[in-house]
Order: sequence, then C-alpha cells, then structure tokens
Amino acid sequence: MSTVTIRPLLPSYRRANLNFRDRTKILLKPNYINYSIKSAPNARRFCSFKKLQKITASSSTSTSTSTSPATSTDTTPVRPGDVFFKETFPLKRTHAVEGKIFVRLQKGKDEKNWQLSVGCDIPGKWILHWGVSFVGDNGSEWDQPPKKMRPPGSVSIKDYAIETPLKKLAEGDVFDQVKIDFDTRSDIAAINFVLKDEETGAWYQHRGRDFKVPLVDYLQHDGNVIGTKSTFGLWPGALGQLSKMILKADTSQSGIQDSSSESCELKQENKHLEGFYEELPIVKEIIIENTVSVSVRKCPETAKTLLNLETDLTGDVVVHWGVCRDDSKNWEIPAEPYPPETIVFKNKALRTLLQPKEGGKGCSRLFTVDEEFAGFLFVLKLNENTWLKCMENDFYIPLTSSSCLPAESVQEMLIPGKAEEATQEVSQTAYTAGIIKEIRNLVSDFSSDISRKTKSKEAQKSILLEIEKLAAEAYSIFRTSAPTFFEEAAVELEESKPPAKISPGTGTGFEILCQGFNWESHKSGRWYTELKEKATELSSLGFSVIWLPPPTESVSPEGYMPRDLYNLSSRYGNIDELKDVVNKFHDVGMKILGDVVLNHRCAHYQNQNGVWNIFGGRLNWDDRAVVADDPHFQGRGNKSSGDNFHAAPNIDHSQDFVRKDIKEWLCWLRNEIGYDGWRLDFVRGFWGGYVKDYLEATEPYFAVGEYWDSLSYTYGEMDHNQDAHRQRIIDWINAASGTAGAFDVTTKGILHSALDRCEYWRLSDEKGKPPGVVGWWPSRAVTFIENHDTGSTQGHWRFPGGREMQGYAYILTHPGTPSVFYDHIFSHYRQEIEALLSVRKRNKIHCRSRVEIVKAERDVYAAIIDEKVAMKLGPGHYEPPSGSQNWCFVTEGRDYKVWEAA
Amino acid sequence: MEASLMGNSQANVVKTGLPYRDSRVCCSYKNKIDDKVLFVNRVSFLGQNRSANLRKAQLRFCTKASVQSQPLPSDRDSGPLSSARPKSLDAVRLFVGLPLDTVSDANTVNHAKAIAAGLKALKLLGVEGVELPVWWGVAEKEAMGKYNWSGYLAVAEMVEKIGLKLHVSLCFHALKQPKIPLPDWVSQIGESQSSIFYTDQSGQQFKGCLSLAVDDLPVLHGKTPIQVYQEFCESFKSSFKPFMGTTITGISMGLGPDGELRYPSHHRLAKSSKIPGVGEFQCCDRNMLNLLQQHAEANGNPLWGLRGPHDAPSYDESPNSNSFFKDNGGSWESPYGDFFLSWYSSQLISHGNCLLSLASSTFGETGVSIYGKIPLIHSWYKTRSHPSELTAGFYNTAKRDGYAAVAEMFAKNSCKMILPGMDLSDEHQPRESFSSPESLLAQIRTACNKHGVEVSGQNSSVTGAPGGFEQMKKNLFGENVVDLFTYQRMGAYFFSPEHFPSFTKFVRNLNQLELHGDDLPVEEEVTESVHTNANMNIQVQAA
Repeated sequence: MSTVTIRPLLPSYRRANLNFRDRTKILLKPNYINYSIKSAPNARRFCSFKKLQKITASSSTSTSTSTSPATSTDTTPVRPGDVFFKETFPLKRTHAVEGKIFVRLQKGKDEKNWQLSVGCDIPGKWILHWGVSFVGDNGSEWDQPPKKMRPPGSVSIKDYAIETPLKKLAEGDVFDQVKIDFDTRSDIAAINFVLKDEETGAWYQHRGRDFKVPLVDYLQHDGNVIGTKSTFGLWPGALGQLSKMILKADTSQSGIQDSSSESCELKQENKHLEGFYEELPIVKEIIIENTVSVSVRKCPETAKTLLNLETDLTGDVVVHWGVCRDDSKNWEIPAEPYPPETIVFKNKALRTLLQPKEGGKGCSRLFTVDEEFAGFLFVLKLNENTWLKCMENDFYIPLTSSSCLPAESVQEMLIPGKAEEATQEVSQTAYTAGIIKEIRNLVSDFSSDISRKTKSKEAQKSILLEIEKLAAEAYSIFRTSAPTFFEEAAVELEESKPPAKISPGTGTGFEILCQGFNWESHKSGRWYTELKEKATELSSLGFSVIWLPPPTESVSPEGYMPRDLYNLSSRYGNIDELKDVVNKFHDVGMKILGDVVLNHRCAHYQNQNGVWNIFGGRLNWDDRAVVADDPHFQGRGNKSSGDNFHAAPNIDHSQDFVRKDIKEWLCWLRNEIGYDGWRLDFVRGFWGGYVKDYLEATEPYFAVGEYWDSLSYTYGEMDHNQDAHRQRIIDWINAASGTAGAFDVTTKGILHSALDRCEYWRLSDEKGKPPGVVGWWPSRAVTFIENHDTGSTQGHWRFPGGREMQGYAYILTHPGTPSVFYDHIFSHYRQEIEALLSVRKRNKIHCRSRVEIVKAERDVYAAIIDEKVAMKLGPGHYEPPSGSQNWCFVTEGRDYKVWEAA
Repeated sequence: MEASLMGNSQANVVKTGLPYRDSRVCCSYKNKIDDKVLFVNRVSFLGQNRSANLRKAQLRFCTKASVQSQPLPSDRDSGPLSSARPKSLDAVRLFVGLPLDTVSDANTVNHAKAIAAGLKALKLLGVEGVELPVWWGVAEKEAMGKYNWSGYLAVAEMVEKIGLKLHVSLCFHALKQPKIPLPDWVSQIGESQSSIFYTDQSGQQFKGCLSLAVDDLPVLHGKTPIQVYQEFCESFKSSFKPFMGTTITGISMGLGPDGELRYPSHHRLAKSSKIPGVGEFQCCDRNMLNLLQQHAEANGNPLWGLRGPHDAPSYDESPNSNSFFKDNGGSWESPYGDFFLSWYSSQLISHGNCLLSLASSTFGETGVSIYGKIPLIHSWYKTRSHPSELTAGFYNTAKRDGYAAVAEMFAKNSCKMILPGMDLSDEHQPRESFSSPESLLAQIRTACNKHGVEVSGQNSSVTGAPGGFEQMKKNLFGENVVDLFTYQRMGAYFFSPEHFPSFTKFVRNLNQLELHGDDLPVEEEVTESVHTNANMNIQVQAA
C-alpha cells in the first residue's frame, strides 16, 4: 500500500498573518489568507501591510499559532480592590489533522460499467473538481465528462471541469465520498481530479499535480509519458519546465516505489481495466479557537496588583512572562516571590505553569506584581513548538489603573487605522472578484453611493466595467431575439461615414494583412533580418499591414509562451533587429501589428509549493496576477474572466496593477518599437472589456483578436447554421466595444466544408448573407484561410489542400479585412494571389463592401461585390448577368473566376 | 417618463419628500393640506404622498414661484438626503423605456434575461427608473373586463427588486412593429361596426385606436370606451396597489394613436418620401360627421357640417398642392376654415380632457403623477398654416396659438405633459419640409410654463438622431426645466457598442458625475452644484 503524503497546498504561510484574519475574513476567500506577507516582489502595492507586520520568529512546524485581537474590553471605574482591567483574548491556532483520501476503481454493474469512488475521511465540505481526458488528447487540458457520467449535484466549471460535492452515501458512513460511473467503451483516457476544501478554499493535489486515474494504457497512446512510470498517475505538463511543482517532500521513498509499481499495473488497456484501491494520507489544517482572560485588580492591603489569568486551553500551559515599567515594554523579571511552579528562563523571563481548573476545563493562575510596574507581558506556550501570542506580539496587560491605559492597549492590538487600510486594500481586490455577487447589495443603495465623492475611483471604474459587462450581456440577448438584424442598420450607418476614418477595429477599412511568419520562422534566428528584405516586395504586392511574430522572450521558441515582457530578444532576432524591420516596413508604407500574448505568461520562479507562478523581470508580479481557477498554477487572483489556457499561468486581468502594467507595456511597444497595432493572442482567455481598456490606452491603428473555438457539428458533419459560433466571436467583439476586429474563424470553417465536400450552398446563410462573421459584422471580421497554428508545420486545422486559391478568391473579393498567410505568398500561388490583391485594390473593395450572393448551390457559389466585382467558386457554371453592366473577365484559377465591371 | 428639470420650488419639494416616499402611512395628510404657501414646508417636513399634493398645489405654486422658492434652499440643505445625494444627480430624473413588447402575451415577459441585465446596468448608471408600456390589447385581450396583469406584475417586481422606479404608459392603441393589436374583442366589434375607427376623406379607416367620436357612445357591448378605459385603469390600480406611489411613480394615459393626443392624420404617409406630406383630416367616420353636423347646425351653418374640408391635400402632398393650406389666401384663413379647425381641435382637447380627468380621478389618491403625451409635429411648422399640426388636431398657425388650450386642459387636470422630440434639431431636418422641431418645442413649453404644466421630455428617434444627445442636453439644461426625461428605448440598438457608450456619456453628463470627479476637491464640487441650483431658482423665478 502506498503512503504518499499529501498536504494542502498552502500550508506554511498561514502563520504570520493570522492576525489579519478577523478583520479580513469577511472579504476574503480562505485562500487569500496569505495575502500579506510574502509578496516581497510586489511590495510596492502593499506597503501599508508591511508596516503592520512584526513578524516574530516563530518556530513551530506542525502547528502554527497566533491570536486575534481582543474582542471585548471591559473597563469599569476604579475603586480599591475592584477589577479595573478585564479582557478576554481569543487564541487561534491551526492544527494539522491527518486523514486520508481514498481512490477506488472497481467494476460496476457489469464488465462495461465501472465505477470510480473518491472519498475523504476528514470532516469538511469536500468538493471533487474533476474532468476527463479523451483518447488522443495531448497536453494537460481537461474536458468535461459526458453528461451521463456526472453524478447528481455536479456543477459545470467553465467548459472543462465539473465540481461534485462529496457526501456520505449512507447513514453512519465514515467517509464522505463521490462515485463516478463510467462506460469503459467510451473514449475517455483518464479521469483527472483535485480535491477542494470549501471551508478553507485549499486545493489538495497529488504531488503538486492533478490526480489522474488512467483508464487506458498510456504507453501505447503517448510514448513520451515515460516519466509517469515512476509516480502514480502523474501527467507530464505540456512543458516540463513549467510544471515542476514540487510539494512537500514525500514522507517515505518507499511509498513512492509502492505507488509507482501499483500504478504501472494500472496502466493497462481499458479492455482489461483492473480495479484498485488507494489510500493517500492527507493533512488538513483545522483552526482551533480558545481564549485567555486576564483580570487585574488592586489589593488595597498589600499595595500590590493581582492579576488573574484564565484560559480554556487544556494540558500543560506555560505562561512565559515578565513585567515592564513603561510603554517601551522592556521585559524585566520582577522580584520574588513568584507563583508556584515558576522557573526563571535565561534571566529574561519567568515561566509559570498554569494550574488546571477544577472540573478539568482549562487552567488558571493568580499573579502578584508590585505596584511599581506598569505592565505585565506574557505569551503562552503549549509545547516547544507552539506559542500563542497576541497578534504576533506579546500580550500586554496594563497594571496601572488610569483608564486610558487599557484603551491604549486595545488600540495597539487593533492598530485600527492601519488595519483598516489593509482591509481596504484587500477589499478592493475582493471587490472586483465578488462584484457580480455584490451587485445585488450594491444596487439597493447604490444611487447614493455612486455619487458620493468619497467613493474611490477604483470602485467607480469597476462599476463602469460592470455596467459594460451587463450591457454587453443584454445586447447579446436582445440582438438574438430581435426580429430585425441590427448589423444591417449599422452597416448603412457606417457607410455613410467618410471611409477615411480610422478606428482600431477597422483601420481605414481598406487594410490587407500579411501574416509575416510561419511556425518555423524562429529557426533561423534572424527572421527579422530576412523579413526586412521582403518588405518592398510585400508592399508592392498590395499589402498594407504586416503581422510580425510575438517579440518577447519566450519559453517556447515560437514566442507564444512569453516570460519577460520587456525583454525583446527572441528567436526571431534582438530588439535592434526588430526596430530595423519595423522601420523598414514603415519606410515602404506599411503598418506593423505586434503579436501580443496577454492571456498567459510563464513564470520565472516557483512559489513555496514549487508551483511556477512568480514572475520576474521588470513586471515582477506574484501569484496575485494569476487567475485563481486553474489549480495547476495556484493563482491568488480572481477567477478567470474567460477560458483557461492550461500550459502556463493565466493572467488575471481584473487586477488593476496587471492592467496598468500591461497598458504601460503596450504603450512602450508602440513608442519604443513603433508598432502600429496588435494581433491579440488567445483572447478567449479573458473578457473583451479588458481588451477595450488596453486598446483605448494604446490607440492602435488596427487590432485583431484571435477568438478561436470550434464550430458546431452534428454527427461529424458540420452544421449549415454556424450562427452560434459567429455569435460567440461577435460577442467578444462587442465586449471589446468594437475596438478590435476578430479573426473570422467561422468563415474559414465553412470554407473548409464548402470547398472540400463540394457543398457551395453553405456559403450563404439563411438570410442570403455570408455565413461567417463577415456576414454579420464585416467591418470587424478579419478573414483568413490559414495561419501558423492551423497550417504551417503544425497543421492543427489545415485548409483543404489545393483549395487555397478558392479560399483567397473568396476572402480577397469579399468584405471584411483579409489576411494572407506568408507561406501562401511565397509559394506557387503567388501570381494568383497577386492578381486577386490587385482586383481588390483596383475596385476599392473594403471591409464594409456590399456583397450580393447570386448563387449558392451544390457546386457553385457566385457573388457580386459593390456592383464592381463578380466572382464564382466551384465547378458549376456561372456567368455574371449581361444586363445593364458589362463584365470583363480578370482572373481565374482552379474552380474560381473573377470579373470586373467594365 | 416624467421629465421636469427640477430647478424650481416643486422640485425641491419632491426632493425632500423622497425619503418618505415609501411611508404610505402618511397618506392621510394628503387631503388635509389645502393652504398655499405653507404647503411647501409641510410637505417637506411631514412627507407624504407627494404627487397628489403636488398636483393640487402645482397651479398655485407657479403663480407664486418667486415667493416659494426662497425658503427652499435651506429646506433642502437640511433634508436628510441632501448631503448624500449631489443635487446635480437629481437635476434630471432619467428614465429609460423598456422594449415595447416587454409583455406581448400577458403571461410572459419577453427578453426577461436581457431586461434583467439591462436594469442592473441602468441602476448602476444612476438612472432613476424605467418606462413600461402596458397594452390594452395584452392585458384585456380576450374579453371585456377580463384582465390579466401577470406579465406586467412580474416586470414591476423585477424593477422594484433592482430598486428602480417605474413609469407606466397605459396604451389604448395598437402597434404595428412589434405587432400588438387592440384587444381581440374590440377588433371583432370593429369588424361589424367600423365606425368606431377614424376615417379619412377617402373613406380609409385607421384601426390603430378608437375614434374619439365614440368616447361616449355605448359601442363596446353596451359600454362606452371611456367606461372601458376607466375600468381598465381601476383594475390596473387595484392589481398594482403594492407598487403604487412607491415603485410606480408615474402613469401616462394613452390619448390616441401612439398614445399621443392627436388624430391619426399621418398614418398613411409613404415611407419612401423624405419630406412628410401634410396628412389628412380624420373626420369622416359616421360619428365624427354627426358631431360636426350638430356643431354646424348650432352655429347656424348646417351646410358646413356635411363633410370635412373639400380642398385639403392628401397625406403625402405638400401644403400648396391644394388650396386649403395655402400660405396666402388658403381656406384655413376663411371663416369656414376657422369654424372647422376650431371644432376639429376642440374635439381633440375635450377627448384629452375626458381621459386625463378619468386618470386623475382614478389614480389621484395613489401618489403617482399623471401624464399625457403631446406629439411634436414639426414639419411645415415654418409655413403660416402649419398644415401638419392642423390635420393632427392642433389649431396652431401663424395667427393662433393652438397649444395654450392644450396646456390649460393639462393644468386643469393637474397632469404633466410628455413632449417627445427633444433630440431633434432644426439643422438636421430637410429644408424642404419647413420643419422646426426646436421652435415648436419652445412654443409648447412656453404654453406649459404659462399654465404651470410640468414638462417631461422624450426623444423621438429610436435609432439616434444626428446630434441627438447634444440636443437633448440642450433641452434639459439652461432655461429648460424638465421634470424628468424618458429615453427611448431599451433594446438591441440601445445596448450596442455603437450606442451604449454615448448613452452612458450622456447620463454622466446629465448627472455631472465625472468618472474622475474625485480628482476634484470635494468642496469645489459642492459649490458648483449649489451654483447650478441657484441659477435654476433664478430662472424659475424669472419665468
């Protein structure tokens, strides 16, 4: 049986800052507890916190302790012999409770239906956060399990995970557990999960990774998973160097061996799946609350001060104490006599064992102190490693009866002003996180709030953001339910405007993009220099915008795993070469788009748990910059506002400091390098409203976002109606308030089916408009047929071979802003592309040109654009009408033909 | 919505009354208060059901505005809300119209999710409330006296939950887009008895609402339309009792086509032509002709009662295409013209009077303000005869102020007047239409001022008139006192990226609530708004 120790992920840094706990817990989720202390790299934002900290070297290992501020004070007028000080201090400490997680895989009803049970024997609100991997998936992304696999009570988390609460399945069960039934015939390769403790918010992983229960033999499907042999269910991260998440040292090496041998056995073909039962130790930290009460009175007879100390702690509680003469609180040892069971500790303090109270509930002791002393100082010691203090300070009990003193002591313990600052600081972050939830409370008295000038600018901003979010939501529902289509009206409106107007969403409207690199461009190490030589040529071909590869230092050579954003030495060249190529393109009259990766960023350092989520370089963010809902990276930011990209920490754009830094960076790129606009990578990962923020701050000439998700298919065949797909893209553009265009993935997908399967009818939607984004919002659609991901040497979604020119004949004659892929320009298609580019330019076709679809049949599609250009795709017959207009043929190729109005 | 810029004494009363709005316990004060000047103070200190009093007090106020506005600043400043809410925010109460088809089948709320999100957004923006069209053809669809308010109640609840106010527009007309017909049973009656509808000179009927000529005829299963409207209002009042005076702060009474007080004189205008024609008189249904006949006979000119003007142009024609509206020597200036136009317009006014007094008496005790809507028929305004206004029922020409009588009628019923077209500016009207929305608006507002009728504004163009926001701002500030402004209308366009940002900007400007306002010293801000208020008072006094 394996005995791998599992510990919660945030075990150690609870200690020093528990003193905030009482004040902040209303606002914070438990995993924010560690908010204050350790973020040295980001200290600039938290100076108010730092002042508060007097971190004492506490040496506990298994338990960490602290106390919270006094909750009650009770001072009464002093009369001789009266108690003039009485106070109860709460004592809080955490205690590690050991328990176990068990994982059982067993046969269910029959050979085909198996069952996975996961349980935990520590009481608490446990949530199983899980997903599946399908056969053939690579990378560490999860997918949602099929509906029938989900136990009752499951909740979807985004589109990749499920959360199911653990519960007692029968009366008297020791375990809370959850059972997942599955069909071995399905193509699920593995079930992945982590456990979440809802009470503390802590995630419990397996050695810093997801638990993974393989249902098929990895070795067969995934040759590179050799590393997993050594550990149970360990999955290699997409990038090895990113995922060295090391947790606590394992308690026993042999345990690992055991488990690995077991797991090897598990890795079998799913046909002969074998059941197993694993128990994994788990440590949960439980908060224990006690109190200590101190009362002080004068003894009129002896002129001494009597101090009674009581606590409900049990066992041997030692009071480590001294006295002081003034506010400086310098410890002194008073003169004897001491209470019984007192020893002098290193001439600095006294240690007195408390006496058990009668009945065994707690203990107490009476101390007698001479009147000359102003205060009584103490800490409580439970054992060598467990000390109980007052907010990291010694307990201080005033011994003089002047009434201001108790107050002062209380004040000191609370440090009210500063603590509030801290609370506010925290609350602002929490504000954004919880804003949706809070809005209900907010709205009720908002009208007075919003106008109050004391309301911080931050709050106002987040309110405006929230308003925008809500408006975008309302808009997307209204527009789908509205009987008349809004875009049509908008097109008309836009057309009446002078076309020279430049906006980041559209540029001038006449842009033609060139994607100036492919997946291999980094190989030479001098791409910028090579591309520079092509600038004149590209410009003369008719391109007006070039899209350069991501310029930052990156963990992957292609640049899409950026690390230090201000380091512009990449595999494409250094910063000077970059400036050179930018200048060159400017010289030939082209604009330059920078490929900026804002969704994720690779970390420089590991946190205490060995998770890579601490950044370096000029933007030395800590894990607050990382979204909280990807357990792989243990971010302490808010939940992601979009989808997660699982290979690297996803940036939490709701953090003001992150947005400020990104804006600064983008402006720097604009000014320092001379970029004119942006190609925004993986914008599915965060809310479009943030994009708007960035674009408004950087005022680019043109911007386009990559919102790539999959089209809808029924039984493997693509649906004719892809409205939902293009709607999602349009929703994103909307969220960005139209400040950026988006790649028209819908059009590409439909072209795939139409051209490949000779189904040209697909090229008209039900309303006789183009079926892609370009049919709904042409001015924001950036049409393309291939890019570095879909084609090149990656080929994730390659355009049907040999059909590329039909694709170009479509996008280069149609509205929208076309983007041509580098590989195609420098290929045998060059002449044909050149001819189409010149047709577009000559006829001044722009992103809002009017397209009239005249044929969309099985084997032929034909359209007339702006009454100036006629084109057809497909083997079927079409000739432009010989009516009022004369058409003359301009260019043709395989299954396409283009005419111009004479 | 209601829309009177509150710079004057009444506005202040409303302000100080706010905290008590919900305490309906105080309703008993309402009828006791009869004195004049003191009233102001009592209202503000006792708090009560404000609008009923206001309406009673209103007329008196206005004559003595200068006296009353003196003590108010101190009242306001001592009012419990005065420090919490900057005055500027209160300056214009902004409402936003909900989609016309929010409830088109009595049991469901259309686009509920979108509206819910929209309401939250509006609340966060600081908008005061929303306007909800309540359709006769929806709530009393199936049979006379059989009401179904469930959809509307759901909306009211939604609005209340969000903490917005609700202005209800009772709509006794039908709508083409989106299609909301008259009640089924009314349409059925209309099929056999077409004279309940307006008829033009060529015999064409307008089935969008009942003719005012049948107001007092028992054409609806033995009941008169006025009775039916009244019962509708009663049922509405009792069904929405919990919301009345709290969430529901205003009700506008449907007065005719599109809810406006007018004849459907322009309903057959061809959409294609850019220059609207003059429209047609709508007096050729049997009942109208009967009334005309009686009137002619009473005037000793029985021959004038046989039909309407014979020399009026048809819908799409220009004024000069026939002789009635000719600028010089047109029949409109003849004794016959005056006879006909006086009668035609007085019929409309008495129809309005009838409905508004009905509304006033029905809702008088609920604490809501009553509104009626007047159209802004601005084309051909710059000609002498104002033909479009004449056909619509407003006897307003170069020689005669046709709006004074209308304002007087509103004043008599203590109703506030909704004026649309606050987004229209002269410069964007086609020259050939001799149109002047700005001058017409000014004329009507002057009439209202004179009669102490509070004006509430609306915009007309749903897709955004060019320069509309600027124009609206102009119409809401300066000398233009508006009780509230209703922005039309929530929907896809409203929330679109093309529109919504300009709307938020408009709202912020309106409230003078700058995003970065907290960069300014607080003191400055306060003084500024005090100035504004002081100015407003001065203007009111001057008026």
